[in-house]
Amino acid sequence: MKKALAILLTGAMAVTLLGGCSGGGSTGGGKTTTAAATAAATTAAATTAAATTAAAASSDTTAAATEAPAASSQYAVTEPITIQWWHALEDQYSQTVVDVVDEFNKSQDLITVEAVYIGNYSAVNEALVAAHAAGTGLPAITVANGPNLATYAEGGLPENLEPYIADSGYDVDDFAKGMIDACTYQGTRFALPFLISTQTVYYNKDLAKELNVTVPEKFEDMDAFLEATTEFNADGTTKRYGAIIPGWDNNYFETLFQNQGLKLVNDDQISTDLGSEKGIEIVKKIKEWCEKGYIYWASGTNASSIMRQHFIDKEAFSVFHTTSLYDTYVDRCDFEVGMAWLPGGDTKNQEIGGSLLIIPSKNDQATKNAAWQFLMFLCGKDVNMKWADETGYLPTRNSVLKTDEGVEFLERKPEFENIFKNLDIIYPKIQHPGWSQMTSIWKSYMSEIMIEDVDIESKIEDMVEEINEVLEDS
Amino acid sequence: MEKKPLIKPRTMSAFKDFICVAPALIFLVVFTYYPICKLVQISFTDWNLINETWQYVGLKNWIWLFNGSGTKYLLNSLKVTAIYTVGELSITLIGGMALALIFNRFNRAFSIMRAVVFVPKYVAMSSAAVVFLWILDKEHGIVNYLFSLVGLPAVDWIGSRGTAMISVLLLTGWRAVGYGMMIYLSAMISISSDYYEAAALDGASAAQRFFKITLPMLSPTTLFLFVTTFLSSMKVFQSVDILTGGGPYRSTEVFVYKIYSYAMVDFRMDRASVMAIAFFILLLVVTASTFKISNKNVHYDS
Repeated sequence: MKKALAILLTGAMAVTLLGGCSGGGSTGGGKTTTAAATAAATTAAATTAAATTAAAASSDTTAAATEAPAASSQYAVTEPITIQWWHALEDQYSQTVVDVVDEFNKSQDLITVEAVYIGNYSAVNEALVAAHAAGTGLPAITVANGPNLATYAEGGLPENLEPYIADSGYDVDDFAKGMIDACTYQGTRFALPFLISTQTVYYNKDLAKELNVTVPEKFEDMDAFLEATTEFNADGTTKRYGAIIPGWDNNYFETLFQNQGLKLVNDDQISTDLGSEKGIEIVKKIKEWCEKGYIYWASGTNASSIMRQHFIDKEAFSVFHTTSLYDTYVDRCDFEVGMAWLPGGDTKNQEIGGSLLIIPSKNDQATKNAAWQFLMFLCGKDVNMKWADETGYLPTRNSVLKTDEGVEFLERKPEFENIFKNLDIIYPKIQHPGWSQMTSIWKSYMSEIMIEDVDIESKIEDMVEEINEVLEDS
Repeated sequence: MEKKPLIKPRTMSAFKDFICVAPALIFLVVFTYYPICKLVQISFTDWNLINETWQYVGLKNWIWLFNGSGTKYLLNSLKVTAIYTVGELSITLIGGMALALIFNRFNRAFSIMRAVVFVPKYVAMSSAAVVFLWILDKEHGIVNYLFSLVGLPAVDWIGSRGTAMISVLLLTGWRAVGYGMMIYLSAMISISSDYYEAAALDGASAAQRFFKITLPMLSPTTLFLFVTTFLSSMKVFQSVDILTGGGPYRSTEVFVYKIYSYAMVDFRMDRASVMAIAFFILLLVVTASTFKISNKNVHYDS
């Protein structure tokens, strides 16, 4: 009897423990709760701002108003409705969020939007997937990280936007091609581009003049560039790195491989080319730079802050990062900050970063209709330049670059000219259901190779085996 | 003739007892046992959390875990979790006991010192982890600054495979050691002074008194701390999530973090489920073994 009781108690304890182990779900929920609290604050702020800025509210007709479907359309909004918009715009952008939401709410009578800050893109992803799986608590409209679109679309999470676009006649041809392609999965548009960025090399322009160097256009010219820009202490340690590469995010180093003709996911969709001779050669070259002290491979949870601080403290000549942080770098550096295209190879393509906007398909039609109106507004020409100007992200529409605001933007931020000129070679990221798993493996191995003393070829062999298994099983 | 009751009194009594525990039982069934059954079901499917539909795939996920590429992750998570658990158990049990012996004085100064040691338990793990991120920062952290004052080289505490787990243990140990101390202190108070007086009369040294009286008399407390710390350390997640994110190169990828990343980052609910069940069975076996062993070695007589 005693033994049975002991076993029963043991079982009960372990069972209760496993309940606690469903960490994913509970964590997601926790974050949502936090986000909801933040949302309440944001909404309150929005209300206050609405009162104080009522006079300043634009009376211009909005994209939503001008392109609203006829009242007879099944996509028309006919009843008053309040909808939620989940976003990942941090505190520094809260006033812009308040202003834009307020402007939309005042532009029409039926839809009231509540902006909810969820957290970073990972937090949005977790909360969204959990809500979708539960079938409740979904936002009417949400930001989504580009690479997740394929997985979302495979699972039926986002609404197919084609009928909405057709019904409203919304101008989607004005978006840069790469941006609209990033919103498309297997020929169907499930999203529209919202806050878009790309990779860039920030460099110390003052020092570049002093050293008479330019950021190379070709990967093979990196040796000379790094040698010229790296400075060493008397004891041989690095005083100033030639460049810092973010190892925590593959977005910043994957084009170094792709522009050399390497396919991260082969055409068969179940294997990678990273283990090829060329792939190994590129890894060995970067490792050589790390060993020489030319490059700092930034990895780990705090790597982004550390990298920025190095650059600000002039302990790095250049850093690979996102164009959306241009204002941050300029504000915090006491030297002139330059922006250059990442070193290329046979091609000099780059990839789209930032976020898209999607409408969860499980919502009722009235909510989806209201969400579509707000989505058109957020991506519309009227507010496009405001986003670009106040957040540091890129304008998504070709036409706004020719407007007075667009010209003025470039006058204030001439470094962006190079980016704008090349919008057509900024491509969507790889869309594969196994992409997230693949990049986790890739980042982990790359950091290990760059930081630890390991046999590169055997590590790449292990990595490719793992990646191929993931791609095949996704 | 006395009429026989429709329901026997004993049955009625048992039924009333059952009614009393039913609300708790319902919660347990809905929130614990049902999810476990669901978990077992999902482990035989290809469900990826987003898809509305799924298919049964037989033992595919189990083969992946025990005889496929998943085995590598399983073994790594087992190793990492075991290292972490041994570390936290050592800190809580040995550190807690040592602190309890040191702070086993009851005056105002020691009360304040005990409070200082215990207070970290009340600091939210997320806040503490963010602070530790900066304390242990390679370039600007205070630990490396202190190292530099005595001529030691800077250590990449969080970014290096050799020190990342130590960093996590520093954080969790800092929070847990005061708790261990308080539990041991309360147990030490309850040990009758008669034992120590008798030992003193027999000429026992301080070490002999500790090993022959204090340690055996604290064994129920040690068992309690061992089991609770073991279970909580096997479930460690938040400190790893914030401090290292399972890195570098999976060196702190504990079991629960791996399950979480399969489910919520990779959307592989099928693989997360099979790993969670393996984890459940492991905990069940270890906990049962602990109770089995403890029956022979724990002294409840005080």
